[in-house]
Amino acid sequence: MNVVDCSGLTKTFGRTTAVNNLSFTLAPNKITGLIGRNGAGKTTLLKMIAGYLLPNAGSIQVFSENPFNNIKVSANMVFVDENMVLPATMNLGEILESAGSFYAHWDHKLAVGLFTYFNLHPGQYHSKLSKGMRSAFNAILGLAARCPLTIFDEPTTGMDAAVRKDFYRALLKDFMQRPRTVILSSHLLNEINDILDDLLLIKDGEKCLHMPIDELKEYAVGLQGKEETVAEMAEKAEVMHWKKLGKDSVYMAVRNQFAEEELQKARLEGVAISPVAADDLCMYLTARNKGGIDDVFDRN
Amino acid sequence: MLLDIDSLKPIYVQIAEWLEMEILNGNIASDEKIYSQNQLADIFNVNPATAAKGLNILADEKLLYKKRGLGMFVSSHARGAIRSKRIERNLKQLVLELVAEAKRLDVGRDDLINMLIAAELQVTEEGSSQ
Repeated sequence: MNVVDCSGLTKTFGRTTAVNNLSFTLAPNKITGLIGRNGAGKTTLLKMIAGYLLPNAGSIQVFSENPFNNIKVSANMVFVDENMVLPATMNLGEILESAGSFYAHWDHKLAVGLFTYFNLHPGQYHSKLSKGMRSAFNAILGLAARCPLTIFDEPTTGMDAAVRKDFYRALLKDFMQRPRTVILSSHLLNEINDILDDLLLIKDGEKCLHMPIDELKEYAVGLQGKEETVAEMAEKAEVMHWKKLGKDSVYMAVRNQFAEEELQKARLEGVAISPVAADDLCMYLTARNKGGIDDVFDRN
Repeated sequence: MLLDIDSLKPIYVQIAEWLEMEILNGNIASDEKIYSQNQLADIFNVNPATAAKGLNILADEKLLYKKRGLGMFVSSHARGAIRSKRIERNLKQLVLELVAEAKRLDVGRDDLINMLIAAELQVTEEGSSQ
């Protein structure tokens, strides 16, 4: 049974459409990365899954129920983002102590372990924490709650590189001990790439790609070489991005539909074949024009 | 560590190749238990499903066998099979690229063979000095 099941999901705010006719399902006990540009509709989608917002059209089912105003969904779900509202009169230690009464699977040992590791102090107040420290504390709540559906909406905002790395490793290790459905939104795909099962890429509120992350690596290839040779190869494939390099050389990112022999032949003809990094690929797929930012400058 | 993010190869293929190296080096003998999916996920910091996919490549090629409830073990013929597979796929591929590069640089056959002999000497020396 799927944990999340959306079909034709649409949400508009006034004249802007944040999420547009989105259909997908999330299987249980997988880590899914939700990737998209700023304003692509990631947060709106997550808030509808969490039951914070009501869609304008389409249906959404979480644990086979409508999540809006639903006690079953809120009891089995934790939503971590920058704006988590926590009691202002309680210090961090008190919040941790009382969190157990809200979450059935709360792991206090893990919470305290992470709390100490990330150098937080029980006497501090949530509103007085630095941006990175606050994100770290929110992330600890999200991990230790061990909810069957765990949603992280850009959990690493403000964290430094070391803390981000530690957080993702903590997430992976805890996930192995207690598998659950995790949705992780971020725009730093390279950092989360390895720990994901699936990737959901959205563009302008619509689904762009939803596939196992392993297949993403083979989805596209970068070809660099003489313009005519590369252009000939590109005729048969979908071009996602191109860039002119020097006089007669060109780089193209194309859909990988080549047989190994074709690539081999191209290699011997002097075409450099390279993988397209996952986050570059997502950038190309969500770009509005094939030349990227260069198009703005090449207009004149 | 170990994993090459820039490689064209998917992570699970790289894990499978790393496991093959472990068997080839004799770090894991035949009929010995190989790493579990969670151990691999921990070593490489990857999703356990990715690690499982790497193990399954070897299991599909019958280089590993399953013991119900105990995990995966190295088959007796695994080392030999990996060796001949590597010669067939990797070594021949490397030689092909080597020859192509030599041609691009206009290096003749004799020069190339001399370079190969020199390289072999170097590798032998490094091996003996260790």
